[in-house]
Amino acid sequence: MTIGSFILKNALRNKRRAALSILSVAVSCALLVTLLTLQRELTIPPESEAASLRVIARNKVSLTQPLPAKQLAILDKIPGIVAVSPFSFFGGNFREETVTSFAQFAVDPARFQGLLVEGKIVEGSYDSFIKNRTSCFVGADTIKRYGLKIGDKMRFTGTFFPVNLDLEIAAVFQGTVDDRGVFFHHKLLDELMGDPGTVGTWYLRVASAEVANDVISRINKAFENTAAEVRAETERAFQMSFIRMLGNVKLLIGSISSVVVFTLLLVTVSTMSMAIRERFRELAVLKALGFRRRDLFGFILAESFGLAAIGAFIGIGGAWAMWTLSDLQKLTNGFLIYFEVTTRIIATGASIAALLGIISAILPSIAVSRMSVVEGLKTLD
Amino acid sequence: MGNPDVVTIRELSKVYRQGEINVTALNRISLDIQAGEFLTLMGPSGSGKSTLLHIIAGVDRPTSGECRVQGIDVARLSESELADWRNQNVGFVFQTFNLIPVLTAFENVELPLLLTRLRGKQRRQQVDTTLELVGLADRKHHLPKQLSGGQEQRVAIARALVTDPTLIVADEPTGNLDSHSAQEVLGILQALSRNAAKTVIMVTHDPKAAAFGSRTIHLEKGELVA
Repeated sequence: MTIGSFILKNALRNKRRAALSILSVAVSCALLVTLLTLQRELTIPPESEAASLRVIARNKVSLTQPLPAKQLAILDKIPGIVAVSPFSFFGGNFREETVTSFAQFAVDPARFQGLLVEGKIVEGSYDSFIKNRTSCFVGADTIKRYGLKIGDKMRFTGTFFPVNLDLEIAAVFQGTVDDRGVFFHHKLLDELMGDPGTVGTWYLRVASAEVANDVISRINKAFENTAAEVRAETERAFQMSFIRMLGNVKLLIGSISSVVVFTLLLVTVSTMSMAIRERFRELAVLKALGFRRRDLFGFILAESFGLAAIGAFIGIGGAWAMWTLSDLQKLTNGFLIYFEVTTRIIATGASIAALLGIISAILPSIAVSRMSVVEGLKTLD
Repeated sequence: MGNPDVVTIRELSKVYRQGEINVTALNRISLDIQAGEFLTLMGPSGSGKSTLLHIIAGVDRPTSGECRVQGIDVARLSESELADWRNQNVGFVFQTFNLIPVLTAFENVELPLLLTRLRGKQRRQQVDTTLELVGLADRKHHLPKQLSGGQEQRVAIARALVTDPTLIVADEPTGNLDSHSAQEVLGILQALSRNAAKTVIMVTHDPKAAAFGSRTIHLEKGELVA
């Protein structure tokens, strides 16, 4: 027998309780990892270098207010801007769907090409997209999800605009932060809408990250005191403003995660306290045999840590496997794209479980440490 | 000339605080116990015999006075020193056996040896020898629940003996046994005293059990009687 096997035998002496404890830790860890992954999914802004070079200019009053198309001429003259395109959210429902599963944007294809830095064409050609006014440029995820191919038709029922779109797939892109979008000719939207002379937003790329703030200031200044003042911001800031519209997601998920962790703490502390209380007299005997306080603390800690570690392994591993192997994009109708259980999230979950294992050993250890051998032995008779 | 004294007790007192009241468990006891002696402590409940046993065994501390075992004043040892001292010098036998239920007889006996520097093979040899000594070599892989009361107590004696301690302290070791098993256990303790020169101190209520000892002392209200 070794100290290790002695600890193991003690930990598994009540197999049902050990299994239930492990299960409760596993479920809590899985829930925690899922919440952290969800928080990341909902709050992660585009983090590529290219995203920091892209700027979105929208109506200062509200994102829903359009901007005059004639602003383009002024934007073209602002130094530091290397590409600019109209960028209007269409918000249509694909085929028979009743929700907008992925975004569609009206762009100027020729100008938009200058904004595509990370993405690459994986099927078709961008030229054919430019040349065909009713064509579209589609993300690979959407192509895969709906089993589409070059030349297929895509029909969108307008929900935001009172028109429908019939588009033909000309090219497929991949490698952007979100490979689901569909881009089509702004001219087509203008025609369908009776040429209102407006755009939703301006999407532009600046020469370098160093000049981005200057360019943003120049854009905002250029339209100051006009009928359509603009608010320019980086793509990252723009995305974050959407997240803010959801409310304080971080706080909400953080609060739920805290409750999960606290519950987990109660479960592990309660389990360990019960397990040790039942063994008070045995621990007194061990003390009498010559085991020191630190030895007993080591036994309790190892047992508590072991149960937490096994639970964490099952829970975190299970959550990782579940979210990695399932097609969440499809299951959530495109609401969740990546839902990636990152190494950092795994490490956070494992650290919390380890910490709980340690904390839950402290209270029983203090009780055992305070217990004299005589007191412990008295519980026998 | 007799054997040298293993235990020397002088003016030993123990006072417990129970709420507002001080309870004197031991009152200025002085006692010498020789090596190889089988001393039995008798007395009514609350007479202080278990308290005296606990102080000699180093699991309780006196309020005043001195208790030296092999020249060491055990009350002056720190908690850690006392734990080491107990492991090396004292073997415990309890009324309710107190074996670890998830460990086999072999593992229960091996338990105190985990604190020593003995290697696995040496430990196993020592445990086997000790289990043979108490006549349980064929039951070494049994769990306590698979053993009779008498067998459990013999395992407990083997656990007390395995580190080759100077002192064996037994608190009512036959209290939970039938008369046959009690005879066996007392016989083993007597043999340890006579043949292996172990100093055995046993608390008992039973005069028949006390008859196995080489000397009996009586306590009443915390004081030695005759």
